[in-house]
Amino acid sequence: MSLTGAALGAGLGSSLLAAAAGTLLPRRARRVGAGLGTGAAGAAAVVAGGAALSGHPWDAWYPDLLPLAGIRLAVDPLSGLFLAVTGAVAMCAAVYGVGYARGGPRGGSGLDGRVTQAMVPLFVAAMLLVPAAASASTFLVAWELMALTSLLLVVAEHRRRAAVAEAGLWYAVMTHLGLVVVLAGLVGFAAAADGESFTRMRAAADGMSPAVRGAVFVATFVGFASKAGIVPLHVWLPRAHPEAPSHVSALMSAAMVNLGVYGIVRVGFDLLGGGPEWWWLLALAAGAASALYGILQAAVATDLKRLLAYSTCENMGLVLLGVGASGLFAAVGSRPLAALAMTAALLHVVNHAGFKTLLFLSAGSVVHATGTRDLDDLGGLRSPMPATTALFGVGALMASALPLGNGFVSEWLLVQSLIHALPSGGTVTAVTMPLAVAVVALSAGLAVATFVKAFGVGFLARPRTPAAARAHESPATMLAGMAAAAVCCGALALAPGWAASGLTRAIAVAAPGPDAVSAQATLRPAGLPSTMSPLVIAVALLVAVVGLAALLRAAASRRARRRARLWDCGAGPMSARMEYTATSFAEPLQRVFDDVLAPETDLDVTPVTESAYLVDSVTYRARVGDRIEHRLYRPVLAAVEWTGQAARPLANGSVHRYVGYGFYAFTGVLVVLAVLR
Amino acid sequence: MNHVLYVRLLDLACGAFLLAGVLVLWRRDLAAIVRLFAAQGVALGCLVAVLGVDAGDPEVVGLAVGIGLLRAVALPWLLRRAMTAGGAGRETDPRVNVAASLMVAALLALLAYAVTRPVVALDPAPAVRAVPVALTVVLIGFFVLVTRRRALSQVVGFLLVDNGITAVAFLTTSGVPLIVELGVSLDVLLAVLVLQVLTARMRAAFGDTDLDDLRELRD
Repeated sequence: MSLTGAALGAGLGSSLLAAAAGTLLPRRARRVGAGLGTGAAGAAAVVAGGAALSGHPWDAWYPDLLPLAGIRLAVDPLSGLFLAVTGAVAMCAAVYGVGYARGGPRGGSGLDGRVTQAMVPLFVAAMLLVPAAASASTFLVAWELMALTSLLLVVAEHRRRAAVAEAGLWYAVMTHLGLVVVLAGLVGFAAAADGESFTRMRAAADGMSPAVRGAVFVATFVGFASKAGIVPLHVWLPRAHPEAPSHVSALMSAAMVNLGVYGIVRVGFDLLGGGPEWWWLLALAAGAASALYGILQAAVATDLKRLLAYSTCENMGLVLLGVGASGLFAAVGSRPLAALAMTAALLHVVNHAGFKTLLFLSAGSVVHATGTRDLDDLGGLRSPMPATTALFGVGALMASALPLGNGFVSEWLLVQSLIHALPSGGTVTAVTMPLAVAVVALSAGLAVATFVKAFGVGFLARPRTPAAARAHESPATMLAGMAAAAVCCGALALAPGWAASGLTRAIAVAAPGPDAVSAQATLRPAGLPSTMSPLVIAVALLVAVVGLAALLRAAASRRARRRARLWDCGAGPMSARMEYTATSFAEPLQRVFDDVLAPETDLDVTPVTESAYLVDSVTYRARVGDRIEHRLYRPVLAAVEWTGQAARPLANGSVHRYVGYGFYAFTGVLVVLAVLR
Repeated sequence: MNHVLYVRLLDLACGAFLLAGVLVLWRRDLAAIVRLFAAQGVALGCLVAVLGVDAGDPEVVGLAVGIGLLRAVALPWLLRRAMTAGGAGRETDPRVNVAASLMVAALLALLAYAVTRPVVALDPAPAVRAVPVALTVVLIGFFVLVTRRRALSQVVGFLLVDNGITAVAFLTTSGVPLIVELGVSLDVLLAVLVLQVLTARMRAAFGDTDLDDLRELRD
C-alpha cells in the first residue's frame, strides 16, 4: 500500500476512533479525545492529499464492504487537493473545538454531548470519503453520509435558539433534493456507461449521445451547485452555516461547500471529459449571479456569521466562474487559458478555505465571548480580545481581495485568464469575458466594503451593549486553531507560487495542458505578459507604511504635543450610540442596489389621541430579506401548503379508511396486472 | 416421500390453510376467530413440514416446527389473553356484512389466480401451483383489516397477511434461510405485543376497542 493509501486509511481510522472517544469517554475527557482524534485525521488527510498531489495515486476495491457494489476508492491528484484542504480545515477546527465545546463563562455550551462530539469526526470522515470515492455508489453513500452528519451538527444547538430548527429543516430539504438530482444524474450516467466505476464511466463517456451527456451534466451540476451554495440554490446556506456551532460552520463553509465544486469538476471535466459551450456558459452565469448576489447580501448583513455565509456564496461563485471559464476555453480550444482559469479556480478554493476557516473560527470566538452575533450589538472588542481582533483582522484582509491577502492572488489569476481571452475565442467569449471581468471587479470592491464593515463595526470603536463590554479573550486552544489557520493564510498570501506549483498535477486531471503558471517568488502565467510577486508587493507596502509613519512622526515631533478633549460638536460626551452601526455603514450601498435588494421598510406613526397633528411615537423597521428566496421559494412552499390543506379531507382520522386506501391501491394494481398480462 | 402422497398432503395443507382464512370472515365471535387463526397456524406448519420432508431438508422441518409453535400456540395464546382482559366478545356490525365478505373473498381468490398465472407458468411444480392460495390469504387478511372494527380482529387480519406471505415465501423458494425466518417471526411477535398493549390502552381510554373511536384523536 502506498503512502497515500496508508495515510487515508489512518485518517479514516482515527476519525472513527475519535467518534468512539466522543461517545464513550466521560464528559471532560470527551472533548479532548474527540478533538485529538479529529485533528490526527485531518493531519493524515493532509499527508494523503500531499502524497497524491506529488504524484502517488492510489486505488482500492473492497467488494465485501457494501452489498452489490462494494466500496471503490481512488485518490488521484484532484482528489488529493480536496483531501488536503479538508484535512487542513479539520485540523484547525478540531483544535479550536476542544476549547469551544467547553462553553463560555455563562455555563456549558451543550456542545460536549455525545452526539455532537461523535458527529464531528464522522463528518470529517465523510468529507474525506467523498473525494476518494471512485464509483457512483460509493460516492453517493459518502455524499449522503456527509449530508446526514452535517445536518445533525447544524441542529446541535436546537434547544437554545428557535431559528436552529428552521435552518435544519431548510438544510435537510435542500440537501436531499440535491442528492436526488445528483443520484439521478450519476445513475443515468452509470446506466448509459454500463458500469458504475469511475474508470468505466470515463471510458464510456465519449461514445454517448450529446443529449445524454447534457442531461447528466445538468442534473449533476444542479445538485452539486446546491451543495456549493450557488444562487439561486443557496437558500439553505445563510441559514444553516450561522446556526451551526462555529467550528462546524468553519468545516461546512471551508470544506464541505468545496466538495460541490469538486463534484462539478470531477463529473464535468474528468468523467465527461469536457463538453459544449452551453454547459460552461451555464456555469459562468450561475457563478456570476452567485458572486454578485452573495457579496451584495453580505454587504448589507448585520449578523456576523450570516455575513460570512453569504461571503461563502460569493467565493464559490467566483470559483465556479473560473471553472466555467476553463470549460469554455477548453471548448473553444485554447488549452493554456483553460489550464490557467482552472488554476485560478482551484487556488481560490484553497485560499477561500484558509480565510473562511479563520473568519468563522474568530466569529465563533466573538459569539463565545459575548453571546451575540449581531454586529449592531458588538464593538469595542479590541481591548478585551486583542488576539481574536488581530486574527479576525488578518482574515478580513485575506478575504477582501486586496494585495497582501491570499484572495487577491487567485482573483488576480482569474482576471488574467479572463482578460486575455479576447483575441483567442469566438463571439461568445468576446461577449462573456468582459462581463465576467466586471463581475469579478464589482464583487472584489463590495468584498472590501463588507469586510471593512465586519471588522470596523464589530471590533473597533466602543462597545454598544453591556454584553460586548463584558467580552473576554478565548482560551488557548481556540486561539491556537485560529492562529494555525492564519499562518496557512499568510503562507498562501506571500508564497502562492508554492501552492500553485503544488496544484499542477490536480489541474492536469481537469484541464490537461502545459503548466499554466510558472511559479517561483513571482507568479508568471504561461504565455501571458503579466507577472505578479506578492512578496515584492508586501515588502514595498511594508517599506511605504514604515516610511510614512516615520515621516509623520518626524513632522509631528517638531511641534509640542498638546492634550485636549476630542471635538464633539459641543454635544457633550460622545456615546456609543453615535457610532457607525453595520446598518448605517451599509446604507449607501443598500441605496445604490435598492432595485436588487428590495429592502422592506415599515414606518408606523402613532399620533397623540387628542390631536392627529401631534406625533406620539414613530416606529421604523427596515429589513433586507433574501429576495430570491422570497420570489422563488415562497410560491412553491405556498403551493405545497395549499395541496396539503386541500388533501386534508382524504385523511379523516379513521384507521379503516387509511388501511382501505392501501387495500384498494394494492388490489387495483393487481387487477391492472391481471388484465394487462 | 412418494410423489402422489406429497401432492395430496400439500393440497390438503393448502386447502386447510385457505379454508381457515375464509372462515375468519364468516365467524363474528372473537374467540372463534382466534381458534380459526390457530388452526391456520397448524395448517401452515404442516405445509412447511411437507415441503421440508419432500426436499429432505432437516432445517426446513425444524423451521416448520418453530412456525407451528409460534403461530398455532404462542400468538393465539397472546390474543386470548388480550381478549379475556375485557371488552365485547363479538365483532359488532362489520363494515361489510358476512355474506358480502364471503363474496369478496371469492373474487379475491379469482384475482389471486389471475395475477399469479405468470409465476406458475415459470415452473409448474405442485408447490408453485399452490401460490395463488397463499396470495388469496394475503388479500383476505388485508380485507379483514379494512372491514372489521374490533382491535382484535385487526390483529388477526394482520397475522393472516403475514401467514400468507410466509406461505408464498416457502412455496416459491426451496426453503427460506433460518436467519430470515427468525427475523420475520420476531417482527411478528413484537408487532402483536405492541398491538396488545395498544388494545389495552384503547380499552382504558374509550371503554371499547372499536378502532373508529380513534378518530377522536385527530386534531
